[in-house]
Amino acid sequence: MNAPDIAPMSATRNTTGIWPRTAFGPDVPARRSAPPRERLRVLLIEDDAGDAFLVSELLAEADAPVDLRTATSMADAAPHLSEVDCVLLDLDLPDASGLDGLRQLLASTTGVAVCVLTGLADEPLGIAAVAEGAQDYLIKGRVDGVLLARAVRYAVERRRAEDSARRLREAELRAAEASRLERGLLPQPLIATAAVSLHTFYRPGRKGVLGGDFYDAIETGPGQLSLLVGDVSGHGVEEAALGVELRAAWRALTLAGVAGEQQLAALDRVLISARRSEEIFATVAAVEVDLTGTGRATVRLCGHPAPLLITDDRVAPVDAEPRLMLGVLPGVPRPAHGVELPERNWAVLIYTDGLIEGRVPDDPDGRLGIDGLTELVHAYRRRGGPLDGLPDWLVGQAEERNGGPLADDVAMLLLTKGSGR
Amino acid sequence: MELSLSARDAEGYLILDVAGEIDVYTAPQLRERLIALVEGGARHVIVNLDRVEFLDSTGLGVLVGALKRLRGVGGELFLACGQERLLKIFRITGLDRVFTMFPSVEAATAGGQGGSGTGTPAPDADGGADPAASAG
Repeated sequence: MNAPDIAPMSATRNTTGIWPRTAFGPDVPARRSAPPRERLRVLLIEDDAGDAFLVSELLAEADAPVDLRTATSMADAAPHLSEVDCVLLDLDLPDASGLDGLRQLLASTTGVAVCVLTGLADEPLGIAAVAEGAQDYLIKGRVDGVLLARAVRYAVERRRAEDSARRLREAELRAAEASRLERGLLPQPLIATAAVSLHTFYRPGRKGVLGGDFYDAIETGPGQLSLLVGDVSGHGVEEAALGVELRAAWRALTLAGVAGEQQLAALDRVLISARRSEEIFATVAAVEVDLTGTGRATVRLCGHPAPLLITDDRVAPVDAEPRLMLGVLPGVPRPAHGVELPERNWAVLIYTDGLIEGRVPDDPDGRLGIDGLTELVHAYRRRGGPLDGLPDWLVGQAEERNGGPLADDVAMLLLTKGSGR
Repeated sequence: MELSLSARDAEGYLILDVAGEIDVYTAPQLRERLIALVEGGARHVIVNLDRVEFLDSTGLGVLVGALKRLRGVGGELFLACGQERLLKIFRITGLDRVFTMFPSVEAATAGGQGGSGTGTPAPDADGGADPAASAG
């Protein structure tokens, strides 16, 4: 028997959705090529005993490193599909004829290479099978052992290459999506004044998952700044997208001159109309700074930890009354809290709770908390470090106590005036 | 750290004792349990947070979701919590005015029926409105 005219076909797939995300089982290394003598697990689905015998003889004759198992129908094959590298599929089975068997197989397996077996007169069917997602086709009676073994190996390799390429595409898409969202969550502040400095900071949470933290800052007029730091509860693309919506809405409202309670009420409505679940909320700290005259800040906290006010002789959370987070009760009043700023040297640190939720082994509360953060800022001031290095240092300290990266993402805005900036 | 949940009946209330950390990883368990309890007919539910060591915003979301769900069917969710570090979280988020909170399960069973216990703030512009009405 010889059939040198069978060459591996290049498989083209026009669908990706039928292949679930996980490719190979945990016991099969999916991300590397098969070493040359790796034994392949092959399942032959063939109801004709003579043809089945022939295939096993051909593989034995070629001394192919293959463990062959035979099933006589799709139903018979089903329990074994998760345990094999390659399926040799006859296209004329008692419970599936033509491409039906292939479609069933493609829909129910992940990461398994498929070679279809066709009769001599059915070569177009083999070509059609490859177009539908099979890795290759073989014409019965025109294949010898060496070719059969090689076709099986090629099919497995091709399947692995396709899976790797698909994973790479998915990873690229995820990275592009994350980067797009990140730009939306963490925009370039619109601040030009030289009277103060604004330092921004963002660190994704453990596992690099983009969270829903966001910030923005706008100079609304001469000596007038509006700053926002917020956090959408939960982690994931949807939460990040919601953060982008809130942040963009805040910028639009601020530029349109809508401020204060009206602005927060509008953000409440944006959140409630855009979220996919009623369990999703957002916290924000909105700070307006008036640099004219002696300097004054207006702080509104919606479920958000109070910003720290850092002056020459003091570090303390702003004494603003906590107000309800966004997304619970629309229309809740959120009056502002005024803060007089020192004339020369001060800094305001607005942060998200990821910074204070890190573990601290020796602490009675077990977490860094607002008090722990305040103490850290004190310590940094005593060391005389430049204020622009504070956010990085704080996260470093929090991570050190936590024994590794913080679980949640962390966003910070640090506005400084005078010494240290 | 694991989350442990156990439910018991007492004085007409369904009490859910929660122990451990309620965070983004464990919050789904709490959500499923609360939904199952409501679907199983529980209407006056006390979530006992006394042995909760950590509660993040995802966990708060689950509790608010349960509150809305219960009020939507004519029930009520009460929280029992005497731990200052957790109470601080409810204060920061402003949710201390949304939930009916008691310092202990005993205080909740003594004063919770009818939703006007000692921990309940008087209805006012801040906390009097019904979160169930905010849906949508």
